[in-house]
Amino acid sequence: MVKILDKEIPNQLSELNIQQFEDITSIHAINELDAIEKHLKVFEVLGLNESDFEDTTIEQFRQYVKEFNNIKGKPELKSSIELDGYNYTAFEGEEFKLSVRDTKHIEKVLNSKHKGYLSEMLAILFKRDDLTKTEHYDSTHIKHKAKMIRELKAELVVPFLVEIGQKLAKQMPKDAPAEVVE
Amino acid sequence: MHLPKSWSEIDVLQFKEIRELYSIEEVFAREVEILSALAGVSSDELEDLDVSEVSAMLKDITFINSEPSKNYKRDIDKWKVKPLSKLTCGEFIDLEYFFANDYIKHLCHIASILYRQHHIDQWGELTFEPYEFSPFDRHELFDEYCINDIYGIIPEYLSFRQDFMDKYHLLFNEEESDEEEEDKPMTSEESKAQAEQKSAVKWGWERLLYSLCNEDLTKFKQVTDLPLILTFNMLSMKKELNL
Repeated sequence: MVKILDKEIPNQLSELNIQQFEDITSIHAINELDAIEKHLKVFEVLGLNESDFEDTTIEQFRQYVKEFNNIKGKPELKSSIELDGYNYTAFEGEEFKLSVRDTKHIEKVLNSKHKGYLSEMLAILFKRDDLTKTEHYDSTHIKHKAKMIRELKAELVVPFLVEIGQKLAKQMPKDAPAEVVE
Repeated sequence: MHLPKSWSEIDVLQFKEIRELYSIEEVFAREVEILSALAGVSSDELEDLDVSEVSAMLKDITFINSEPSKNYKRDIDKWKVKPLSKLTCGEFIDLEYFFANDYIKHLCHIASILYRQHHIDQWGELTFEPYEFSPFDRHELFDEYCINDIYGIIPEYLSFRQDFMDKYHLLFNEEESDEEEEDKPMTSEESKAQAEQKSAVKWGWERLLYSLCNEDLTKFKQVTDLPLILTFNMLSMKKELNL
């Protein structure tokens, strides 16, 4: 937690939930906002209104941002989680493997650029042990699971983002549409 | 899993199938579908693999991002390419239709117009079979040829077409609508004129043939069998002399 304007707000990955983390990443993706506007919006998501900062100097505001961004520790990749009494597994063994099927589904989610894309990405990766493939990839099931995952802590999603980012950067083909003659 | 190494191992049908897959928006999903089409396996089989395994295979098929060879075969089996300068009016009109409506999808229809049966006549002249068949009845005959053998007819025709359009630009420009004018407010007479112009574009070839037949439909076949260049030379003359 970090204290800003006498209020404790979550800033560590073990404190923010995935929904808050999604909101924060979405705000940072808005190109129309400048850095200060982005931080004001982030603080608003966490319970501090813009008007609360009216008497704050720019130096003080910068200090708040610095403290907020001071993330400690490196969360570990979790291969399974328990939700609502069910066990969900993302990968077996030590090494994270990304199947072609999951990549296709994740690519679709990332392309849609909707706000809940991170929880949906995790919902694709974490498969309920007692369900079949067909049931797992059913869009209603994915949405329902994503809703539950949204309440979990952001420390779950970040290591997957790093792993997937690295894998895709290495593996993804370049989008080079075939040259056509006109 | 056997993967082709170049376009020389791909037939026309596979080529068209691959090009159709370019409509898939997601890059990775598209590449997997292409891989499955080239390997002749279902995409389900590939989907259980790790992304790194599939990625290694994708590196082997990077040739798909280039064009097939433009050096086409002028003679394949019993077919020979009819020189574009010898096209008839009817052949040109049909080619225009297929080029305007996705020429990759209609590659075999186009090939069936340009690749023709032929013989040497009693005077020792190369004679092509008459255009008395429908490309819709013949296109499948070209599905299994190697794409490298026939693909080059596309750029060659497009180049011929460009030269042709440039040469007879006065005849073609007449049919083009002025897009800039479309947004301006129009009087009822102007909108009527625009509607007539749109209708003229829609029925462009039919109108042209109808006029060349002197409004006698029984002469339709005679007109479509006329050499393209002769027809357009005559049309140019008529226009220039205001006949």
